[in-house]
Amino acid sequence: MRSQFDWLIYLFFGLGLLVTGAFIVVPAVHALWLSLHQANSFIAAPKWVGFENYARILADPAFWNAMGNGLIYAGTSIVLQVVLGIAFALVLNEHFPGRRLARGFVVLPYLLPTVVVALTFQWMMDGSVGILTVLAREVGLGTIPWFEDPVAAMASSIAMSVWLWTPFVTVCVLAGLQSIPQSLYDAAKVDGAGAWNRFRHVTLPQLAPVLTVVVLLRGIWMFNKFDIIWLMTKGGPLGATEHLPILAYKRAFSLFDVGGGAAVASISFLLLSVLVLIYFRLFPLEDRR
Amino acid sequence: MSQTPLTGAAADVHPETRADQRRAGLSRRTREGLRRSGLGLAALAIVAYSAFPIYWMVISSLRDPNKLFQAPTLVPGPFSLESYEVLLTLTDYPTQFRNSILVASAVVAITIVCSTMIAYALTRLRIPFKTLIVMTMLYVYMLPPLLLAIPLYGIFVWLGIADSLLALAIAHCTLTLPLGVWLLWGYFKAMPFDLEEAAMVDGCSRLGAFLRVVLPLSLPGVVTVAVFSFLLSWTDYAYALVLVSSDAQKTLPVGLASMIGAFDMRWGEAMAGATLIAVPLFVMFTFLSRYFIQGLSAGAVKG
Repeated sequence: MRSQFDWLIYLFFGLGLLVTGAFIVVPAVHALWLSLHQANSFIAAPKWVGFENYARILADPAFWNAMGNGLIYAGTSIVLQVVLGIAFALVLNEHFPGRRLARGFVVLPYLLPTVVVALTFQWMMDGSVGILTVLAREVGLGTIPWFEDPVAAMASSIAMSVWLWTPFVTVCVLAGLQSIPQSLYDAAKVDGAGAWNRFRHVTLPQLAPVLTVVVLLRGIWMFNKFDIIWLMTKGGPLGATEHLPILAYKRAFSLFDVGGGAAVASISFLLLSVLVLIYFRLFPLEDRR
Repeated sequence: MSQTPLTGAAADVHPETRADQRRAGLSRRTREGLRRSGLGLAALAIVAYSAFPIYWMVISSLRDPNKLFQAPTLVPGPFSLESYEVLLTLTDYPTQFRNSILVASAVVAITIVCSTMIAYALTRLRIPFKTLIVMTMLYVYMLPPLLLAIPLYGIFVWLGIADSLLALAIAHCTLTLPLGVWLLWGYFKAMPFDLEEAAMVDGCSRLGAFLRVVLPLSLPGVVTVAVFSFLLSWTDYAYALVLVSSDAQKTLPVGLASMIGAFDMRWGEAMAGATLIAVPLFVMFTFLSRYFIQGLSAGAVKG
């Protein structure tokens, strides 16, 4: 009876590892391997070219443009998400009627599929009857070229991403706030600290670990984010919102430069690995519950 | 949630002296009133900011499609279900809905069975390289999906299952399995082995101990994994875009996205489609919000 179940466990354990191995580790290694080959389609046999793909990609201004865009996009949207998330969490941590409901509403954007968000914002930013376009016109901002102008397209993409992913920060910070002992605040008040000083010297230092995790995870994920920008701008206008994931996709699937696409993906993978290693370093596996 | 004592107003005023307040020139009550209304306004602004696009999506889907292109009004109406009728009768939406449900259910089932087993094995059995396996799981969970998508497509072509729901389900498992193993590994590890041992001493088999002791105690973890597996599969766009091309195999996100940029953009139908994708998620959130929040703060979602 006992051995029978052990057998089952090993079976599923093996199956699970097989799936993980065959469909995650193998593809990841395969991507690195592909990046060293010239391949013009997924069927033709790839030809070994060494680091030529990398040399070609690194010499291409489009790559550096994509890298810069990716840094601007990820950096700005992370800063905004964190600032807004902390502000929202501070408000939602207070007592007021309907607090539970408000907390529920704040999470909603995060549940939405990116496609839904992209469609809804495109509708709201429709050039003639979109609600945001109309509102902007009515308050005297004129007709805003949300996605036609390079700078505006980047700003719009960032604004949407911030709307969509702020709830992650809010929820994490809210959990963090609830674990700060009230006695710390009382002590600070006795010492005559005002609201700002209490925030600055009690709340922020206490939130530091949570914020580190949040910034690292957001950094890892925002740098990879493909779908939202792809759906809104396809990297345009004039490459103004093209970042590394879009460049990789375009190379592999519309230019049929599979090796080059894999090289771009591998480069961003290596960059991300640095962040992931920092994450492991700061939060060793053994401490994790 | 609300175990924090006295965060609010009462504690705020407490240590200050009357002199302070007189200096401020405001009575305690006025200050308190100002504070409360400020807080209320802030909360209202936050809710409006978070919910407005969703509100707009829903009322646009319910509006008479002919009225959508007139100057927009913030209040709903005139109501009409025309967009939904067209969407459900004249487009591929029902097929895509079915495809999405099939893929998501398969993903949830595979993920739960495999990740409980892997996590259990990793915490209870003698297996070499345990830490390495968990690290790999966490590591691959952070990989860019697109890095995997390019070679995965090649692998599926080679296996002869390219452009199928099966391929998509397997691809989604590459997101959900590492997540499941990571979360459940934490749960099983935190559970004292004594409990199972006691059950086994009392005559339970290992399977009995697993089913009667370990699983019930880690049920919140299992539900969280199920919820997030569903969410990841249901909302995935990147994998579905790369791996599926024929219309009959498209899932909701890709099907809906193909409306974007059409020459004759039918916004009413698009918003109806968007609303119908979101509804199952909102319903789930209403009933299982605890697990959502729990998983979220455990960093569960790749998003």
